[in-house]
Amino acid sequence: MLMCRDLAVIASDYIDGELPVLENMSVKMHLMMCKDCRTFIGNLRASTDMLNAHSSGQADEELIRKIDERVALALKEGSQDPTNQDPD
Amino acid sequence: MTDSSREKEIKLIQGLKTGDNDSFQEAVRAYTPGMLAVARFYLDHSSAEEVVQDCWVKVIDAIHGFEGRSGLKTWLHRVVANRCKNQLRSTNREIPTDFSESLEPELAHRFNAKGRWELPPKLQFHESADTLIENGALNDCLDKHLSSLPETQRSALMLYEAHQHKSEDVCNILDVSASNLRVLLHRARQKIFLMVENFQETGEC
Repeated sequence: MLMCRDLAVIASDYIDGELPVLENMSVKMHLMMCKDCRTFIGNLRASTDMLNAHSSGQADEELIRKIDERVALALKEGSQDPTNQDPD
Repeated sequence: MTDSSREKEIKLIQGLKTGDNDSFQEAVRAYTPGMLAVARFYLDHSSAEEVVQDCWVKVIDAIHGFEGRSGLKTWLHRVVANRCKNQLRSTNREIPTDFSESLEPELAHRFNAKGRWELPPKLQFHESADTLIENGALNDCLDKHLSSLPETQRSALMLYEAHQHKSEDVCNILDVSASNLRVLLHRARQKIFLMVENFQETGEC
């Protein structure tokens, strides 16, 4: 039987829909009976959503300025770097 | 990707291919945070910033070889990952990673020997993410904890969550297996969860 600790181990997989069907069903069964785990899963999901809403994806302005300068200079000079590789 | 964002991306790529400075400025703002998250998985902070700068200069020429088999973001992230891997190869540096445990010790201690909650989560995070994030103090706290996450966990989390890459792409860019990516994501999320919980209970970061 799935215990609370087991559920905590696979909680992210459950949230992301990455669990195999049977395991997913046992998590659902457990959640129906266990309020603490429902709170845990809900809070873990809320923390993840919060991260998405958080603006920490901004790069530092100083770095952006440096990149702008280097790119503008290279565009002006015409880039002559022969080592470019296309990873696509 | 929606049709309009796809169209916008095609236009941007055309601008980059013609060497248009405005297009570069737009792309630099849109894609640098994600590129930095990739680089910081592999390198220390200042080397990561240098690599990202170098990559943008490289993109001026390399963009001509971009055939659109992947999206621009994924392609840029791979450019950065390849460059970081080359740099690591030349310096023989190892990436420190810990995939052994998937439960945070702080959370693992909250279960009893039978595997039931000893210290269950007390509060439910009722507010929506947007409301919580409008809380300036919590926002600062989130910033602080994000920056103290191990680079590997933070990069995985940022690429998967904030930059919305598919697992497959994150594995590819960071050179980790699917199961190791799951561990990195889960560890990082637990830390954020513990931080928010502590903040809600004590009002302190």
